[in-house]
Amino acid sequence: MTPEVLTLFILNALFFIFATLAFILAIKINLWYDKNATTPKQYALEKQSYLTATIIKYIFAIKIPLFIFFIFTLEKISIILPGAMCSAGVVNATEYGIYLVMLKLLNLYLFAYWIVLHVQDMKSEKQPYIKLKFQLFVPLYFLLVAEIALEAMMFFSIDIKNVVDCCGVVFSISDGTYMAQIIGASPLIQTTLFYGVFGVIVFTYIIRQKRAFAIANILFVFVALVSLVGFFGTYVYEMPTHHCPFCFLAYEYNYVGYFLYIFLFVGTFWGAVLGVVAFDAQEEKRRYRVSLLFNTAYLLLVSFYVLLYYMQNSVLL
Amino acid sequence: MIEIKNLSKSFQEGTDVLKNLNLHFKEGELIVIKGKSGSGKSTLLSLIAALLKPTKGEVIVDSKHISKLPDHFSSAYRRDNIGIIFQKYNLIADLSVKENIILPLVPLNISKKELDVRAQEVMSAFHIEHKADELVKNLSGGEQQRAAIARANIANPKIILADEPTANLDEKLSLAFIEMLKEMKQESKTIIVATHDPLFFELDFVDRFVDFDS
Repeated sequence: MTPEVLTLFILNALFFIFATLAFILAIKINLWYDKNATTPKQYALEKQSYLTATIIKYIFAIKIPLFIFFIFTLEKISIILPGAMCSAGVVNATEYGIYLVMLKLLNLYLFAYWIVLHVQDMKSEKQPYIKLKFQLFVPLYFLLVAEIALEAMMFFSIDIKNVVDCCGVVFSISDGTYMAQIIGASPLIQTTLFYGVFGVIVFTYIIRQKRAFAIANILFVFVALVSLVGFFGTYVYEMPTHHCPFCFLAYEYNYVGYFLYIFLFVGTFWGAVLGVVAFDAQEEKRRYRVSLLFNTAYLLLVSFYVLLYYMQNSVLL
Repeated sequence: MIEIKNLSKSFQEGTDVLKNLNLHFKEGELIVIKGKSGSGKSTLLSLIAALLKPTKGEVIVDSKHISKLPDHFSSAYRRDNIGIIFQKYNLIADLSVKENIILPLVPLNISKKELDVRAQEVMSAFHIEHKADELVKNLSGGEQQRAAIARANIANPKIILADEPTANLDEKLSLAFIEMLKEMKQESKTIIVATHDPLFFELDFVDRFVDFDS
């Protein structure tokens, strides 16, 4: 139990308490909120909806830096875990690690979506999303509890006497798993898919087709992540066998991973949200631009490493 | 400008403070609502200010249905349209007169220079500029009320609501308040005064009396 893990546990306990309170209030709002009613109960529910939304907002506001702190914690633990060279080794040290990371990312996306819905809801006197946002919080609460439970299980089941695999083994393209087959696909297929889906994003941006733009963005997350680990990452590491999604975040690689992931997640998040939330014309235009700008920044950054390597060595990996 | 439609308000089931009230206030009118304590005068002012929500009926201000506004819209409506003069002034004792007066403008992120100009304007209009830096707790009742009136006017609201404004004042100060009321009316503000002070009942510049006792 390191101080970092203890910090995560304390914050998780606070999340659990406050999220449970918000969950109970959300259930009450879902059951009895009637915007046409003029009863004291309805007025109390209106006030409680503010309290609930405030709790959820604060949970999200803390979860963003906490995710970075979580990665930092994994990096620190990797020092004491035999065999681990980076966070990937710690994630793979237990059977819960990979599910936890995926769940954390999913929850961040969903909480961010909840916040967008809430902001839109609060902009209108009619609060068009009031029921929807509290209905959405119900499954979100269970996902949050699952994340907290998984995190506890992961940290409690790490055995520092066991030798774990380093990222070179975990993300090896020769170990026969589905993951290995995907990231081991030929560079031509990976880059064609990557630039192809980006092309679809640009095209749907030009014709302003919201739904198609959103779907292309969701697709882009997966294509970009696979090609990052399978192809572009090898140019960042300048090593054809290094396929790790975490080492980018380290000092040796100038923390470029933070830029990559922020560009990718912000760009695709706003692109995906456009397909489900109605914005006014000006706001919609701004969201389109932000999404395309961040996705383009991601594309330019990963492409830059390939270009740089080629210019320096006159050969591709 | 202000329309009250079938308005009812009860704080406990079965006890209506207001019941099926229908009223219409025109822009620039000065209305005095008279009635004994507990007749619902203050409740009506609170409903017009969207501080309370009705049990039934509606309050419509400039065609906007304010009774069903979410709380943050109610606050914005109040900030932009309403100035309230409370019976006990509701000033913050440990802040200076000027600090109290500029409070309604704080959420608007106005520059300090602009705040100073506007504070100076209202303080001089209501004759309290000489006490600008004095703490409110050191002021007399009349001075506190002038500070409260200046605060109610700093955002230049269209509607002024005064709830028993002279209840804590002697006759001389009450007459001074009435003079200020006259000045506010000349600025075409809609003013609603809830009072049981007989001084108001003989005023010739009042447009209408509404008797809650009848």
